[in-house]
Amino acid sequence: MDAVPRKPKPRWLLGVVSFLAAALVMIYLSYALPRILPGDFVTAAYAGSHVTLTAEQEASLQSLYSQDTGFGSYLLRLVTLDWGYSHAFLAPVSELFLGALPWTLLLLGTANLIAMSAGFVTGVEAAWRHGTRTEKGLIAGATVLEGIPEICTGVVLLFIFALKLQWFPAAGAETAYAEGGLFTRVIDVLHHLALPLCTLILAYLPGNFLLTRNSMMMVMKAPYMVTARAKGVPPRRVRYVHAARNALLPVVTRFGLRLAFMITGALVVERINSYPGLGTLLFNAIQSRDLPVIQAVVLFSSLIVLAVILSMEGLYRMIDPRIRHAR
Amino acid sequence: MSLEIRNLDVVYGNGGHSIQALENIDLTIDRGKCLALIGESGSGKTTFGKACLGLLPENARIHGAILLNGERIPYEDKMSLQGIRWKKIAMVFQNGAANLNPSHRIIDQVAEPLLVHGVENSSDARMRAAIALEQMGIGSDAHGRYPHQFSGGQAQKIQLAMAMILDPEILILDEPTSALDALSKGLVHRLIVEKKSRGKTIVLITHDLEFAVGCADTVAVLYLGQIMEKLPAEQVFSNPLHPYTLALKRSYPAMNNARDLGGIRGDAFYRTVHQHGRGKETDYLHSHIQVPESSHKDGHAPPVGCLFGQRCTQAVERCKQGPIQIESVEDHEVRCVRRGIAERFVLNGVTKRYGSTRALHPVTLNVKAGEIFSLVGETGSGKTTLAMIAAGVLSPDAGTRYFEGRNMDQWIKKNYRSLAGRIGVIYQNPAESVSHRFTVGEIIAEPLNIHRTFREKKEKERRVRECLADVHLSTDDHFLKRYPHELNMGALQRICIARALVLDPSLLIADEPTSSLDPSVQAKVLKLLLDLQIQRGLTMLFVSHDVGLVRKISDRIGVMYQGRMVETGPASIVLQQPRHPYTRLLIRSAMGEFSKEINSEERFSSGH
Amino acid sequence: MHVKILRDLRRNRWFLTGLSLIGFFFVLAMIGPSLAPFDPQDFSFNPLSPPAFKHLLGVNDGGQDIFSELLYSLRNTVLFGLLSGSAALVIGVLIGAFSGWLGGFPDAVFMRLADILLAIPAIMILIIVAAVFRPSPSVLALILAFMTWPTISKAIRAQTLGLKESLHVKAAVQMGGGNWHIIRRHLLPEMFPLYLIGFAAKTRMAMFMEASLAFLGLFDPGRKSLGMMISYALKYYYLDIWWNWLLPPILCLSFVIMAITFVAISLENVLDPRLKEGSLKETVMEKTL
Repeated sequence: MDAVPRKPKPRWLLGVVSFLAAALVMIYLSYALPRILPGDFVTAAYAGSHVTLTAEQEASLQSLYSQDTGFGSYLLRLVTLDWGYSHAFLAPVSELFLGALPWTLLLLGTANLIAMSAGFVTGVEAAWRHGTRTEKGLIAGATVLEGIPEICTGVVLLFIFALKLQWFPAAGAETAYAEGGLFTRVIDVLHHLALPLCTLILAYLPGNFLLTRNSMMMVMKAPYMVTARAKGVPPRRVRYVHAARNALLPVVTRFGLRLAFMITGALVVERINSYPGLGTLLFNAIQSRDLPVIQAVVLFSSLIVLAVILSMEGLYRMIDPRIRHAR
Repeated sequence: MSLEIRNLDVVYGNGGHSIQALENIDLTIDRGKCLALIGESGSGKTTFGKACLGLLPENARIHGAILLNGERIPYEDKMSLQGIRWKKIAMVFQNGAANLNPSHRIIDQVAEPLLVHGVENSSDARMRAAIALEQMGIGSDAHGRYPHQFSGGQAQKIQLAMAMILDPEILILDEPTSALDALSKGLVHRLIVEKKSRGKTIVLITHDLEFAVGCADTVAVLYLGQIMEKLPAEQVFSNPLHPYTLALKRSYPAMNNARDLGGIRGDAFYRTVHQHGRGKETDYLHSHIQVPESSHKDGHAPPVGCLFGQRCTQAVERCKQGPIQIESVEDHEVRCVRRGIAERFVLNGVTKRYGSTRALHPVTLNVKAGEIFSLVGETGSGKTTLAMIAAGVLSPDAGTRYFEGRNMDQWIKKNYRSLAGRIGVIYQNPAESVSHRFTVGEIIAEPLNIHRTFREKKEKERRVRECLADVHLSTDDHFLKRYPHELNMGALQRICIARALVLDPSLLIADEPTSSLDPSVQAKVLKLLLDLQIQRGLTMLFVSHDVGLVRKISDRIGVMYQGRMVETGPASIVLQQPRHPYTRLLIRSAMGEFSKEINSEERFSSGH
Repeated sequence: MHVKILRDLRRNRWFLTGLSLIGFFFVLAMIGPSLAPFDPQDFSFNPLSPPAFKHLLGVNDGGQDIFSELLYSLRNTVLFGLLSGSAALVIGVLIGAFSGWLGGFPDAVFMRLADILLAIPAIMILIIVAAVFRPSPSVLALILAFMTWPTISKAIRAQTLGLKESLHVKAAVQMGGGNWHIIRRHLLPEMFPLYLIGFAAKTRMAMFMEASLAFLGLFDPGRKSLGMMISYALKYYYLDIWWNWLLPPILCLSFVIMAITFVAISLENVLDPRLKEGSLKETVMEKTL
């Protein structure tokens, strides 16, 4: 439409730039806040807590927070994983963090993927079988399941399968001090993963199912569906390639958000199953007022949220051509 | 021979019990000219005619003078008066048959003046009478008959023949055509023209506007004894300046008048019959006319200020003060405080763009008080945009707007609400223009609530009911509590109309108000709008794409095409003699003639 | 129109079930404490004794009557949920409506604020605040409301933007209606379904949070909560107390949240006209094409 052709700036570049900008703001906040808080931040935080610090510990903490080494060196330390030392756990923060991170990723990633795909497929099929008993049954089941909070499912599963039947371990991500090859290890991990995974899947699946089904219901009424059938497209293709593709957007949004809030999303379940993920780490840190750990986890969580939200925009464009061509 | 009336006053009765039939009449009619005196019942027109011939009753007091060729008519001198009557000045009375003697044959009646004035002998008189009657279309086989054997129209013609038999210099015709069909009217018209060409003077007293305009050179409009306007005859339809003249024009089913009949709100007078009972000559049963709102409780004293004020669509406070003088406005003489029809609003050179699209090129629109102006055009022509600019809802990119003389843009900035209360708007889709959560009562009351017009709930309700009654809807409680989805579109649109009128605005803007309605309902709603407009003296801006519809209600039409006003003018003229090619195309399409050459005519230049 | 909605709702089984359950629990929550035979803080009873007539659900490890505990906990959870839900609703609606209606600068400010709040995970903040500052539960409920209003206000704002273009709103503007008049009379009444949906969703979330926080032990230990009961009961899994100590709070919590979930889901289905079910015949015909 312009008379003179111009090379358009790629949209993703804009996205990356805004992410970096926001990230920088977040990091700066994490740097500046403790220093802005009034009075003796360290003492105040520990007051009223059952944790006591030795004078030496207190002093080192205070020095850590009142350091006026500037934002630049702060950034540098962040990037080089020098995140301070945890007094509660007696380990460097980065070690604690990076030790817990994979477990959370494993748990949440798997749970979300399974819940999303299973929920999506069942939702599509259920919507297709609209009006039948199967559909009604599935909806009923999903609604009931949706109504049961994670705590309850988690506790019930734990109680029945771990404590009473003893089929699964009640705690941990893997058996400590175990020996064995890769295969045994993997089995072991899966064994430990099972219960929290099931709890999460049971918590996420019904929602995805219902969301997909509702989305599909709206899509199926659209005129282009009639066109598809008129063209002689086979049913399965109609269902997935034509209909489900358009119903994808809300589901993907939810997936993204769940991922974004992964740390807090799994917190309760991790706690129930004593699963050593970031949630447990955070919780313990809060209990013991372990400020460096809290700071690290919060910062990381915020950055993830930002990253996910900003990249979802890009994902929307890929999925929905109407958004792609909107500008 | 010329006829001049100078400051004529005619008063019936005396003392405290008198009626002013004519007041301050000043007229001059030259040789070979015709003056039409337009008036309705009670205006004093018959009194005028009779005054010229000295035929007023005993209790009539005359002041002022009537001059024939400069000489006063000697009313006191019965002898010379008699010599003048019928020879110099003759009159055809109203109500044909009743003015003929039922026991004389018509030929005799027609011949009588000739005999009485000694012009002819008996047989020649009858011959001339027969010729006169034939000329009026009454065949010789009917000449021997009696008046009751003729129709009203024929009796009128007989009277005419009788009046013209002496070929008087001045002929006064009092409603000569009221019972006549169009062809017979043509006959009378030809007669008048012929008389004029021979230097005779005609006074035509009538309420038939079209006939008056066709015959007369000047027209004087009479109302309750006063002349409201004097104007050249050809301007009666195209440019009446006095509100009463305009209202008359609208009430008249002329071929020339496209809009549906109006009427004038209120009544001029009503008759009372009573007895004063204080002895003397007033102690008897009598009737006379009583003007509403007059100051004396027996209706004897005329109201102060403008006689037409109460029924006028543009009356202001000044209209109630003191006697109103007649003054010259353009080439008319008008008795109006506001010097003729006021302007309700003016849009001058307004433009509007939406993004890169130009919705309106500079458009100028002015709408006079009390008229219905229609904007007609296809979708996208800019008519709705223009109407919304007039309403104050949209603001133009350039140009000025004035409402009742005030600059709208400043007004809006200062206090939009007070302007909003003067303008009512009704929209195309009544169902969408109301909230479905509101009951009928709440819908109509909303402007009252917004403007906090009434303190008491009762007064508010009363007003709501009034408005409901005005639009011919039920006023009972049950109806007030109904919801829009329970009603049909016609009723809903009436409710919207009631809502638009609840604050008594001076301007009503209707944006395609009947497009969403069924045809039978359309007609009713339009009729309602017309009635309301007349009753309340509203000015209306009507937007429509339907030329046929617009024809039925507009005084003036503006044709819009691609953001330009390509033609404006009185409705009948725009529709019957369109000048701009687009207007022609529009009218032809409206009449069902779809042109094959649409493409070539599509590209019109702006203006003409 | 709202008449039709009420009728549809009355026919919807999920809604009725949910509503009756909620009704039941609400009543129970309100009068519960008066039904409780003992003061739940009273720890004078024989710890871990099995259910008997005197103690319908037995006694917990601290010597407190479980049944009484249950009733008090139920109330706490329900009240927390209702308080947070209503607060979130009020804030969300007002901000959403004004933001959408006024547009321009206020709109931009509020929506950025909403985005920031959305990015912050509620549970993390609640945990931190609860752990460090130990405020009263009402304060926590309000803090939660303050973090959950954004979704409501975005929905309300979207609806407001749509309504702004409707003819009756434009007519009211032409008539001279002021901002508050229009919002109050023309906008707010149209969005009733959104209120119900939003309130149900936020209340559900709040009750869920309350249970989670209690489970994690972040409330004042003296405060009875279903989550707390579950967490304690779990510790004694090896004893045979699961069916009178662990199960009741789990069941209660599940049913309460389930009830409000039913209401929320059925409301969404009924109030969203796009999801109207067609007849079975129609769908069968469609599929055989």
